[in-house]
Amino acid sequence: MANPKKFLIIDDDPDFVEGIISILEGAGYEIDARYNPKEGFKALEKGNYDLLLLDIMMGRGAEGVMVARKMRKDPKLRDIPVLIITGIREQIAYLFPGSAVSPHFVEVDELVEKPIEPALLLDRVHALLERAEARKTKTG
Amino acid sequence: MMVEQVSSKVLIIDDEEVVLDSCLQILEGGPYHVATAMDGTFGLEMVREFKPDIIYVDLKMPGISGFDVLEKIHLYDPTIVSIVITGYATVDSAVEAIKKGAYDFLPKPFTPDEFRVITRRGLERRRLVLETAALRREREMLRDHFAAIVSHELKSPLGAVQQNLFALENELKDQLSEAQSKKLGRMKTSIDNLMKLIHIWLRVIGSDIDNIKENFQPTSLIEVIGQSVESVEPHAMRKEIEIRTQLDKDLPLINGDEITLREAVVNLLTNAIKYSRIGTQIRIKAEIVGDEIELSISDRGVGIAEEDLPFIFGDFYVGKSAPVAERGSGLGLAITRRIVDAHGGSIRVESALDKGSTFFIRLPILPAQPEKVQTSDTERLASTQ
Repeated sequence: MANPKKFLIIDDDPDFVEGIISILEGAGYEIDARYNPKEGFKALEKGNYDLLLLDIMMGRGAEGVMVARKMRKDPKLRDIPVLIITGIREQIAYLFPGSAVSPHFVEVDELVEKPIEPALLLDRVHALLERAEARKTKTG
Repeated sequence: MMVEQVSSKVLIIDDEEVVLDSCLQILEGGPYHVATAMDGTFGLEMVREFKPDIIYVDLKMPGISGFDVLEKIHLYDPTIVSIVITGYATVDSAVEAIKKGAYDFLPKPFTPDEFRVITRRGLERRRLVLETAALRREREMLRDHFAAIVSHELKSPLGAVQQNLFALENELKDQLSEAQSKKLGRMKTSIDNLMKLIHIWLRVIGSDIDNIKENFQPTSLIEVIGQSVESVEPHAMRKEIEIRTQLDKDLPLINGDEITLREAVVNLLTNAIKYSRIGTQIRIKAEIVGDEIELSISDRGVGIAEEDLPFIFGDFYVGKSAPVAERGSGLGLAITRRIVDAHGGSIRVESALDKGSTFFIRLPILPAQPEKVQTSDTERLASTQ
């Protein structure tokens, strides 16, 4: 991999993040981490990321959702694929009835539950990158 | 104490003016607000306006009877303490009134002291009733709050531990000996079980089962049963248990939530497998009974002792006859009952020790769609012509 893909993960649980980073780095990706939504969004604006892993239940409630909403409004950021990570699936179903699989915060996103098996994580990441790529060639 | 008593309100409903007057006199100067009413209808109006703590009701009044007044008071606010006033000749009816929820009775004629004592006792009772209600509310709030704490403080760190185990296993996958891999596997399984257990506790403690009603859809029980059987099949095969289904092919749809219904059926099947002997059969049947579908799951397992039957749908019940290795959280049936309740259905069990158990779930059939009714009408018309 000459030019490794670069991901950002935003999650308020550093211990969990460590477990994710190890798996992704093992697969040859490059990862930055931020531990709150504010810092996370700043990093997202500056860095040139290929994918975002976003915990939506941060802080007092679903603060991660705000990150996704802000991304959607930003033409530079709205095409970045997002893997949404959640601790509790019920909460998602409650917050966004009828869209438990893909909440569609942004064009290309998908939802997984904590903890995530390595094979599943890599599979989802791969699929999201492919979908984002396909969109780019279609629209560009 | 005095502060509370100052605001105590006493309402007296009696058609005899003499009684009302003497009651007023006896309580005068005490820490009471007293109001009176000469008949049941006016008395009930006063209950709403005056908001009494205790009420004296004469059983024998013209117009609406004392019993009816009692009943309506109880319906309006069961925390109001009611006391019946009655002559000696009607002690029987006083007893009857107490059976219906009156707290005490005051036989006529009474002395001022008797009246004061009974009033004080009644107000003490009222205080206890209100306190109990407040404690119950507090307990419920604690329950919900506790659910949130458990969810966050236990589930997240466990998730992080599991994620790191996943990562560790992934990093070491080429270097681990078989024995080391097994150790990792045991850790992962234990944590997974713990997380599932927390999840189940949350389901029981929290009130989220009732929320499923908002997403009810026409649901096919045949599909639910099929998926449930599929998910427990590996467990059944390990015990060489055969699961036989006998389903009415034209089973109508019900109004429900597929995911929780599946959970309910899986719970019953898992229990059936758990308590079955090796090499036996489990039968699932679904048929129409009246305007409901009855689903039954029978095993030829250890059965449930008769004295245990009333408790099995309660929280944390674990069958004593369960093999120790098979013991669960004791919440499966409680959750199942809650799911069935939320669907407007009912659940019951028939069981005999050493013979096996049959669980029956009944769920209301979805009312026929308008189009279907039309077709069947035309068909009927066509066949009669």
